[in-house]
Amino acid sequence: MQFHQIGAALWEIPPEGGMRVPARIYATPKMLDAIRNDNASQQAANVAHLPGIVNYSLAMPDIHWGYGFPIGGVAAFDLKTGVISPGGVGYDINCGVRLMVSRLTRAEVTPRLRELVNQLFRDVPTGVGSAGALSVSEDELKRVVARGARWAVERGLGEESDLEYIEEHGCIAGAEPARVSARAWERGRGQLGTLGSGNHFLEVGYVSEVFDARAAQVLGLHPDQVTVIIHCGSRGFGYQVCEDYLSVMDRAVKKYGIELPDRQLACAPVDSEEGQAYWGAMQCAVNYAFANRQVIAHHTRRAFEHALGLDRHAIGLRTVYEVAHNIAKFEWHPVEGREVKLCIHRKGATRAFAPGRKEVPSAYQAIGQPVLIPGDMGRYSYVLTGTEQAMIQTFGSTCHGAGRALSRVKAKQMARGRNILQELEQRGILVRGQSRRTVDEEISEAYKDVSSVVDACALAGISNKVAQLRPLGCIKG
Amino acid sequence: MDDAGEALEARSPDWLQALDHTADAGMVVTAPELKTLFERAAWGMFTVITDPAKVRLETAVELAVDAPDRAALLVRWLSELNYRHITRHELFARFNILELSETRLVAEVQGEPIDPARHVIHTEIKAVTFHGLKIEQQGTDWRAQVIFDL
Repeated sequence: MQFHQIGAALWEIPPEGGMRVPARIYATPKMLDAIRNDNASQQAANVAHLPGIVNYSLAMPDIHWGYGFPIGGVAAFDLKTGVISPGGVGYDINCGVRLMVSRLTRAEVTPRLRELVNQLFRDVPTGVGSAGALSVSEDELKRVVARGARWAVERGLGEESDLEYIEEHGCIAGAEPARVSARAWERGRGQLGTLGSGNHFLEVGYVSEVFDARAAQVLGLHPDQVTVIIHCGSRGFGYQVCEDYLSVMDRAVKKYGIELPDRQLACAPVDSEEGQAYWGAMQCAVNYAFANRQVIAHHTRRAFEHALGLDRHAIGLRTVYEVAHNIAKFEWHPVEGREVKLCIHRKGATRAFAPGRKEVPSAYQAIGQPVLIPGDMGRYSYVLTGTEQAMIQTFGSTCHGAGRALSRVKAKQMARGRNILQELEQRGILVRGQSRRTVDEEISEAYKDVSSVVDACALAGISNKVAQLRPLGCIKG
Repeated sequence: MDDAGEALEARSPDWLQALDHTADAGMVVTAPELKTLFERAAWGMFTVITDPAKVRLETAVELAVDAPDRAALLVRWLSELNYRHITRHELFARFNILELSETRLVAEVQGEPIDPARHVIHTEIKAVTFHGLKIEQQGTDWRAQVIFDL
């Protein structure tokens, strides 16, 4: 496979075989060696085979191996000739990140950090085996998937102002509950308001560095300010929707005579019965995830009040923004000089719209859409903003995180004989998790340094660095 | 918090190996016959979720799954157990395959409801995937490879 450098942090794999368009990978020269040795670049090339793909198959600098599509992949499809693929969204539909900031400084929170982290661990359930999920009937769950985060706010679980600062205002149109299986409803019923396991987490941190003072001011970020990051998605509801429709699409591929280089790229034409059915079910999962993060944000606010003994005004936890990073959406983008409505798949990639786009909250019009890039539990995370170059180059998309560098097996080997929790605590980071094994698997060394991913995006011009956040405490499933 | 993770690996049987894969978790299982392979695969999956040695055999349920081929049957079997674990908050630790063909499996599985005082849930399995899925005969043994999305 050939890689031609076409920009400071951009490489192109020219079309060969059945590729309809080139694949483009964002990476610095230093990162490319690792990417070359991973199957993920082949996966980016495979996506270029899909019918109706527009311009290129894109991969962000945090590209790594996924199911069919690479993680870090972005692909746009024509609505008439193109396809929609569950593998281009992922199992955790609308996995995403919310950033909240408080009125408190690090010095004010540190003395009660242990109480705070313990309270969060009690109040924010992680998943199977942990009590405290919202119990909702199937009828109520149908309202959840129709209303998204607004459902939670209407029940008093959040503030009206939260909705202004969530991608799609926390509710996407097109959800069709009739397209969702009985199993997905059953898996979703007991998990609303839960974090889940794996790489999902809730982190208390602080603003450690500001790179763009103007943008930081607009977002209300300042050094030493205490922050909260919530990273989770649509839980078992979304996983089941994905699983159900992978089988549907497997049959659709044969029905529509679509030739695929990898069976896991299973897809159907956007306007086919199967494509529309997945669309309607997927949007239900998108809204489930928006509601899930809203409920968790509410429990986070209450936990701060209990643990710190302050009222909500003194704490002032406010949503800066919330992004989705596993999603397919209809969006308008310029293609050959005219605006076209496309089906954009972002799998482990984040929307990064430029200043002036109508989807960007009015308060942020001058700086562009905030983008939230979590790192690992021992290092740092980043706040970026979208750019005009992202609109031109990547359908308004950028990276989503660090990406693993080591397998879980290797991470556990590296953690063996060490007390990871104690090591982190010595560095001022308190971690609570359900299982020591999970914490060991998620050690810092298991992840790539997210700063190199973010710097590659900045170098390519598809994002603007605003601020860095460092962790104080973290809860994990 | 517990030390189950390390303890478990120390006594992992030689027919079960963790697959070294960057993105997710996988396992390779071997067995002298297909029925045992399916039983061991189920046990192997529950070692990802918890420590099956701490699961008491208090309940028994019979279940049947159908699939278009043998590899898909393995995915459906494991997916069915994961679905029951997640929706009914149960853990399973003994698997007895009563009937097995290329496309159908009937089994009795034994276990108990999750007791947070005794069981550590290490992780959730989002899905049993078709990626890298293999069932093959190696000499006189059967070998299966399964990758989970965590």
